[in-house]
Amino acid sequence: MYVWVRVVIALSVCLALGGLFVHAEVTEDQWHPYPDAEELAAEYDSYVGQDVMIFGTVTEHSEGGMEIMAESDGTSITLQVTGTETAVEPGGVVQVYGTLEPGQRITAERIEVVNSSRWAELYKYGASVVGALGFLLLFFRYWRLNRDTWTLEARDG
Amino acid sequence: MADLLTHLLVPYILLTVASWRVDWLDQRWVVVGMGGAAIPDLVKIGIVLDDSTVEALLGLPFTYAPLSTLGGVLLFAGLITVVFERRHWRRVYGLVTFGGLTSLLLDGLRVYADGRASAWLYPFTNWRPPTPSLYVSSDPTVLVVALLVAGAVAVLDRRIRARD
Repeated sequence: MYVWVRVVIALSVCLALGGLFVHAEVTEDQWHPYPDAEELAAEYDSYVGQDVMIFGTVTEHSEGGMEIMAESDGTSITLQVTGTETAVEPGGVVQVYGTLEPGQRITAERIEVVNSSRWAELYKYGASVVGALGFLLLFFRYWRLNRDTWTLEARDG
Repeated sequence: MADLLTHLLVPYILLTVASWRVDWLDQRWVVVGMGGAAIPDLVKIGIVLDDSTVEALLGLPFTYAPLSTLGGVLLFAGLITVVFERRHWRRVYGLVTFGGLTSLLLDGLRVYADGRASAWLYPFTNWRPPTPSLYVSSDPTVLVVALLVAGAVAVLDRRIRARD
């Protein structure tokens, strides 16, 4: 098959994928029913009293609560989380589900610890890097790029 | 989401076991299926190039989130497929999509504080399936189990191939 035909198909798929990226952002309220950090920072009062679920990095931990920093699209907001005995050291990441209260507070109904510390996050990314490198080595053991046709072909034909 | 290594090991396990019954499914095709498992992880490109930066550059609303949904997997699998020779397209697309689906299903089992997974069936539905909340993404138990099972399957596979 001509290279240009494949390029046209690839560009068409990229266009469809781009359309999906835009559509998903426009319709975010329909598939993600909770406000994100950017929305909370912009219009906090309009969400008070609503259920929220937010990911945040623990910045401070105290008895019966914690302070988290949530971030999305380059905007961050600091929230006090009350009603929890969950102990997470600063730098850890939690998911908080609860009710948004005035004064940048959340009364937690449920908290899940995503990364218990910075090390947990490093472990996750470390395992992913090992996976990516291992996969590339394995893949190019069986496949190679044919520079004449610009296609991937099996090494053993 | 689970780490990339776990995502890659799951289709390796499933496809290697399937290869004991399916003649054409040798290691080179298993590897292609494993590649598909990485598609949902591409959402992490946001660490390097933030959604908001792309949004500002394009002047359009933008999110990478669909990469870890069914729609994103089906489209990105098409992109990977056209890089292969035309005669392999059907097989490559099927395997890459399968790999991507295993990652979406695995991520659909992890913990969400409100008890519902992300809307990973988007754009076909915005429904968020209930999750059994089996693990959190940084839980090393998931990777240990995947490594042990993959190791056992690799040993069995070698014995079966040596016998044949």
